[in-house]
Amino acid sequence: MIESQVRALLAEIADGGEAALSQVDVQLARRRGRARLRWRRACMAGTSVLAAVVVAALVVGVLPGRPGSGPPAGPAAPRQFNPLVPYLSFGWLPAGDSLLAGGVRPEATYLTAGRTIDAPSTWDLVVYAAGQCHLTGPARELKCSTPALEGLTARITGRAPAVGGHRAFWAGPYLVWPYARGGWAGLLLPISYGSPKLSDAAKRKAAERDAVKIADHVRYGAATPPLVFAAQLTRLPSRWRVSSVYYVPDAGVLRASRFALGTGTPDLGADGGLEYQTNLPYFSVTDPVASRRSFCGKSASEIINGYWVVVTHQVAGTASRQNLCAASADGLALYISEFGAHPPINIASLFRDHLRLLGANPANWTRKPIG
Amino acid sequence: MSRSRDAEYTEYVSARLPSLRRLAAVLCDDGQRADDLVQATLTTIYVHWGRVRTASHPDAYARAVLVREFIHERRSAWVQRVSLGGRVTDSPATAVDHDTALDLRAAVAALPARQRATLVLRFFCDLNVDQSAEILGCSPGTVKSQTARALDAARKALGPAHAAGSGGQPAAAAEHQICPGGPGHD
Repeated sequence: MIESQVRALLAEIADGGEAALSQVDVQLARRRGRARLRWRRACMAGTSVLAAVVVAALVVGVLPGRPGSGPPAGPAAPRQFNPLVPYLSFGWLPAGDSLLAGGVRPEATYLTAGRTIDAPSTWDLVVYAAGQCHLTGPARELKCSTPALEGLTARITGRAPAVGGHRAFWAGPYLVWPYARGGWAGLLLPISYGSPKLSDAAKRKAAERDAVKIADHVRYGAATPPLVFAAQLTRLPSRWRVSSVYYVPDAGVLRASRFALGTGTPDLGADGGLEYQTNLPYFSVTDPVASRRSFCGKSASEIINGYWVVVTHQVAGTASRQNLCAASADGLALYISEFGAHPPINIASLFRDHLRLLGANPANWTRKPIG
Repeated sequence: MSRSRDAEYTEYVSARLPSLRRLAAVLCDDGQRADDLVQATLTTIYVHWGRVRTASHPDAYARAVLVREFIHERRSAWVQRVSLGGRVTDSPATAVDHDTALDLRAAVAALPARQRATLVLRFFCDLNVDQSAEILGCSPGTVKSQTARALDAARKALGPAHAAGSGGQPAAAAEHQICPGGPGHD
């Protein structure tokens, strides 16, 4: 009897799940799959000839981190990045390419450039804070400890032209170099391993030349367009800080389209450039025109502060999560989420009493997300 | 990855998406988590597309990927998975709301991931012990013991009337393309 009840229950759950609107994105899976393949191939790259080159380099002590090679001269890399300060900018990009997005977390900052954000290949630059990356192992692998990216191990396959006066290396599809004392940077070339383009040596060489030129012109700590927020939080507990930001260029500024709050070490890991902490919220503030029509799903709405919002609570075992979604609030599409059973400020209170929406006009946006 | 392989992959996963979502929904009992699980599964299938397309049973391979992703995800705490992009998925309310069904649903939801996966493979996908063991990467004896424990937990949730043992006829296999018995399974 119990088996038949379990069968009926599972079939019922399946029917319920089937009826829900799918948010699965096959194109996104392809992009993530390509990225993972690039990393895998970076790990496995290296012909015996290149290995011999690396061994030879080790013998003569030209790789950084080896006795005798010494750290790069000049200033030390930051120990942490300030999530409210875009530390990084491109000084040169190939014709037709432009900055598409960027982000800052304490341990790394990154930029993406290309034609469009959905293009199959983009230039992805990531710069790590001091101490995040190390050359390890007999095979000379560069390992970076930040948890936000997959498979952060790249085997160095050969020497590249110097970048900013520092020694640089090819690591599969990456160009990597120590941009300052104790800190490493990596630039992913916009070519997919296994694609016909890679077999075209001339195109590969051209991409490598562009990569070195881009890397050579990266600006660290220089002035950038301001990082601004279309919403401001007020009267929060004093220890709450913006822990990570993802931004997009918009009307001459860098608009924070997603950001997370934290009070210390993020305990929920990281994904998509943000870091998450139990019982603290993360935010997505976007242009409603650019948002999906099904942004908030089809749940019943309620009105808070004059805005239609959808509040949902999810519980699975001992874990819980609450979300608030507003498809159109003062010209913005807003999504807030909190993981954890006991957030100090529940999601509805956060929206009602602690959040000030600044509208769609960039002139009204703020550099201070916590007022 | 060449265009033709991308096209093959897209064609394959697009056709299997409904059945993968059904299986994920049963494993997760949470629409958003199910979509996250399917999303992760599709990425893994892309990475291993060469193996999937040449497998004698691609659907079985895809199913195994999804179940293993589920177990791995649960092992590393599901709250670590964060869905980005400001999306909320809302599942419709279930039609059944009486106490027994809720108790059973709660009991199944509280099962450890491996036990829940075992129940799903046995009673949703209608796999036998050997087939389930292959997917779960354990011995047939472990599948039997996990099934027994899971059913025991379900019985306890339903009260003394169900605690004596099991019996009855199995329900007809549902039509799940990604599970044996369903259309399209090779």
